[in-house]
Amino acid sequence: MIEFKGVNKYYGDFQVLKDINLSINKGEVVVIIGPSGSGKSTMLRCINHLETITEGELTINGTLVADKKTDINKLRRNIGMVFQHFHLYPHKTVLENITLAPKKVLGKSENEAKETARYYLDKVGIAEKADAYPSQLSGGQQQRVAIARGLAMNPEVMLFDEPTSALDPEMIGEVLDVMKALAKEGMTMVVVTHEMGFAKEVADRIVFIDQGQILEEATPAEFYANPREERAKLFLSRILNH
Amino acid sequence: MDFIGAYAPDHLTFLLKGFWVTLKVAFISIILSFIIGAIVGTLRYAAIPIVSRVLAVVVETIRNLPLLLIIFFTYFALPEIGINLEITYAAIAALTVFESAMLSEVIRSGLKSIEKGQIEAARSSGLTYVQTLQHIVMPQALKRMVPPIVSQFISLLKDTSLAVVIALPDLMHNGQIIYAQKDSYIIPIFLIVAIMYFIVNYCLSQIARRLEVKRA
Ligand SMILES: Nc1ncnc2c1ncn2[C@@H]1O[C@H](COP(=O)(O)OP(=O)(O)OP(=O)(O)O)[C@@H](O)[C@H]1O
Ligand SMILES: [Mg+2]
Repeated sequence: MIEFKGVNKYYGDFQVLKDINLSINKGEVVVIIGPSGSGKSTMLRCINHLETITEGELTINGTLVADKKTDINKLRRNIGMVFQHFHLYPHKTVLENITLAPKKVLGKSENEAKETARYYLDKVGIAEKADAYPSQLSGGQQQRVAIARGLAMNPEVMLFDEPTSALDPEMIGEVLDVMKALAKEGMTMVVVTHEMGFAKEVADRIVFIDQGQILEEATPAEFYANPREERAKLFLSRILNH
Repeated sequence: MDFIGAYAPDHLTFLLKGFWVTLKVAFISIILSFIIGAIVGTLRYAAIPIVSRVLAVVVETIRNLPLLLIIFFTYFALPEIGINLEITYAAIAALTVFESAMLSEVIRSGLKSIEKGQIEAARSSGLTYVQTLQHIVMPQALKRMVPPIVSQFISLLKDTSLAVVIALPDLMHNGQIIYAQKDSYIIPIFLIVAIMYFIVNYCLSQIARRLEVKRA
């Protein structure tokens, strides 16, 4: 359902993405890994048009993301996004954070939106925090709210950009558990993360990217046991040895 | 110093009349410049191709002119091109033009202070640019803008006194008329004029503090 065809992206003279070809099917969980600055976030952010591709074709269910005729707001309803730093709205309660888009974008009624919000809050395990403000929550709780906020739009795909790297170690597990459950329910997920446990357990595919290029695509079992690319080997030895 | 003579009942009534003019001119200018400043500040923030560029030039020009010059201009220069404003309206027009430019800058930088991540979170959930501005950027920015906006209001109120140059019968002007009669009135009149300015401005800043605490 997500299809990159010969996608290039430049920042000025600097080429961030080089001839990206990747296709992600419905229900697949794809983990993107690679060194810092390799273009992982950029690639993810192109999918919901937070960044614009320079060349090539990027389609979602056949719709060109970067086309002028595409209603990007409509496309985005269908793509949830979770950020490294959560980006919850600090002036709104947890419940309001989750109900905003369903009300304003999908036109749901207050009650309907609240009901959905509570359902997903329960699902991510923090039903009791509905009326709290984000500043009253721990990092792990905030990230779970962010996931619930994404899910409340009932999207077809969820994008995650290093969802656990801003968290204290003891909170990583609670967020990963929510994501694993989601993966097992069949959600299509594109996840930038270095969490190997997560990748091994639920990823269908690992995409290794370095300097804007996809160097390797493999199943987690293959990739972690026996990476083909020299640079992937080097990268793995680095993340494993610290 | 002649306090008793200076504070004679008809002097006080005269001062209060001036005070009333000051408050009236300041109040109307505050309302107008807040509305105009909010519109201009938002348009500039939104980076609308030509509009924002033109507004930037206008705002920067006004901000870099002395208010006194703008006051002179509205009263003495505008009649030359056929626009005759009564003193009060000339003062309101001058203050509104100047303070709108100042406030638009406060509002623009308040909007700009909201993190990009907030906007990205909202946009990626399908909210339009305008909805994002309305529900995410503006409410948060407003909270941060209350103190600088109120201090701009306070300086507007004080700046009304500059309109003495076009003989606006405000507090400052009426004070001058009284102490011009007798040198021994000068200090008592300055004192009471200062107290009057201080009281309103102090009230304004207290209201601002309340607002801040409440919204925090
Ligand atoms: N707005 C921008 N302007 C110019 N260069 C940028 C911009 N955003 C990102 N870059 C550059 O593009 C490259 C890829 O950035 P990106 O954020 O996609 O990397 P990443 O793989 O997500 O890295 P990290 O693991 O640190 O998050 C980096 O070299 C970065 O400096
Ligand atoms: Mg990144």
